[in-house]
Amino acid sequence: MMQVRTRRLVQALGGPLAAIVLTLALGFVLVAAITDQPIEAYRELLFANFDSLGNFALFLNRATPLTLIALGVIFSFRAGIFNVGGEGQLYAGAISATVVGVYLSGLTPFLLLPLSILAGVIAGGILGWIPGVLKVRLAVDEVVTTLMLNIITLLATSYLANGVIRDRSSYGAVSRMVPQSIWLPSIPWVPQATSGFIVAVLLAVATWVVLFRTEWGAELRAAGTNLRFAQAVGVPAARRIIASMWIAGGLAGLAGALYVLGIGHRFEQNFSPAYGLVGLTCALLARIHPIGALATALFYAMMLNGAAYMQIETDVPRSLVNLLTGLLVLFMTARLRAAPREA
Amino acid sequence: MTALQLTQLLQSVLAQSTPILLSALAAMITLRANILNVAVEGMMLVAAFTAIAVGGLTGSVWLALACAVVAAIVMSQLLALLTLRFGADFIVAGLGINLLASGGTLFMLEYFYNTPGGLRPIAFPDIWHIPAGALSFVPILGPAFEGQSLIVLLGLLAIPACHVFLYRTPTGANLRAAGEEEHAARAAGIRVGRMKALSVGISGLLSGLAGAQLAMDRLHFFLPDMTSGRGFVGLAATLFGAGEPWLTAGASLLFGFFGALGDRLQAFNLPSEFVLMLPYLAAILGLTFARWRIHLLSRPARVAEEAA
Repeated sequence: MMQVRTRRLVQALGGPLAAIVLTLALGFVLVAAITDQPIEAYRELLFANFDSLGNFALFLNRATPLTLIALGVIFSFRAGIFNVGGEGQLYAGAISATVVGVYLSGLTPFLLLPLSILAGVIAGGILGWIPGVLKVRLAVDEVVTTLMLNIITLLATSYLANGVIRDRSSYGAVSRMVPQSIWLPSIPWVPQATSGFIVAVLLAVATWVVLFRTEWGAELRAAGTNLRFAQAVGVPAARRIIASMWIAGGLAGLAGALYVLGIGHRFEQNFSPAYGLVGLTCALLARIHPIGALATALFYAMMLNGAAYMQIETDVPRSLVNLLTGLLVLFMTARLRAAPREA
Repeated sequence: MTALQLTQLLQSVLAQSTPILLSALAAMITLRANILNVAVEGMMLVAAFTAIAVGGLTGSVWLALACAVVAAIVMSQLLALLTLRFGADFIVAGLGINLLASGGTLFMLEYFYNTPGGLRPIAFPDIWHIPAGALSFVPILGPAFEGQSLIVLLGLLAIPACHVFLYRTPTGANLRAAGEEEHAARAAGIRVGRMKALSVGISGLLSGLAGAQLAMDRLHFFLPDMTSGRGFVGLAATLFGAGEPWLTAGASLLFGFFGALGDRLQAFNLPSEFVLMLPYLAAILGLTFARWRIHLLSRPARVAEEAA
């Protein structure tokens, strides 16, 4: 029993580790080609996050939305839905939490904080539900609907942030602040690190339990692995798939709400460096396993923040990380051996 | 509306539509081979960057155009190689192409040009435009075409070209067969992989023209992420146009019209964001409606039940 468990753990961690090592090696070759201090650049990229408590806090803050979005993606992919709508669901969650926080600021914090988070979760959930229900009832391609809903949501939030809830006193598409009474506390021994990270870790464990240790999760995975078989043996597959999309959207919405309440304290139109797509990448790198996704999200947070330190200390531009991400996503799902079938 | 206003509106619709039209046709060609091409955006961006970089370096407009198109085709074949030969997922790899394009162009701006904000060559050659007055004998429509670039004309010519290719040539028929029923096509001796690679290649060619038009027509500069979602508007137009060349072209012109309208509506204080949303909403609704009709048609009859 113990051995099986260890082997599973190695399997869950082995895939992502291999992909990460490969990307880092490729990146090192690139860095070595363009700078004469590649070791220094890589030290900054990987370890500057741990140089100070402040850097470490920023690192945890970066990992929080990535983990939550990746967990959402895992729910939907396990149910067989190719959900690329993380970005839109994130934005919907962030803007809804902000709107509630800003407009109901008169409420007592004990009521306002849960209301604000709930608004974010529900808004994200609805954006997940629409493609889910269209897929299940009418077989509308979910890739298209989630992609299009991403852009629609970003345009809608841009409208709100540029006009309706804009903070006139500051520059750019930035909303008014949410009241300080509902800001999330920081992690006790790491000032400036949002406690949202603890929520993300707990939810990663919860996701694992729900998906792999409950009957409900088994049914959800059955619907994703073999829909017709699942239906034939009496699994309410349609309901499970729609529920998975509610949860996927809800988790991404929660990521947005926690970002606003814990990190940004307001909605900023460009707060996300493509968290949706990077979260999807983390989930896929981890072979859609929740604990593995926590690891890949931490890795990605390290890379994203490390790139900035690298740019300061060496002459390697930070967009190197964008380039590496592109390569990683491009090669991520490719198999090493050529397909044996005809080409 | 006076004739002059109509001409001006037509002119801006044409200018706004051309990149969308070309990217829509690019997405359409792969859609007919059963590939949802999300990488059009990235291929356009690479083409736009190449056009400006090469044009600024050599001063040759033809070289710039050719290199832009070639760069986009190279990206498309990279995508084809990874997905068709190495079994990568098309959506994930396509999004990877987009990330690679936006990250790679930004990296080159920062590393080679030291200008992360964008690339503006001091001198950039002008692409051929229809000279003023050349078409003034055609009322309203003629002046609207004057001053449009060569690529606008190529874009309009690409519509019938795509139609003829898909429906009147054996290769086009094979391509459609490969998209509609892969196994049957393979059994009939069609090289499905090669057909799909071809469709992705044509998609690269058209995306390359779209990107070149965006950068070379009037702007003569490159900005990071300057395609700003036009590839996805094109994808929306294709889905709304059900993968038919003329319907897709119609949808692109319609969405280009929304874009031109959006610029004008700002004067009336109507938020442009809502106008810009229309293509994406139209794509979702159009697709849903199409599926809904199929759903209704394939529903089992209720007659027996009611009679009983």
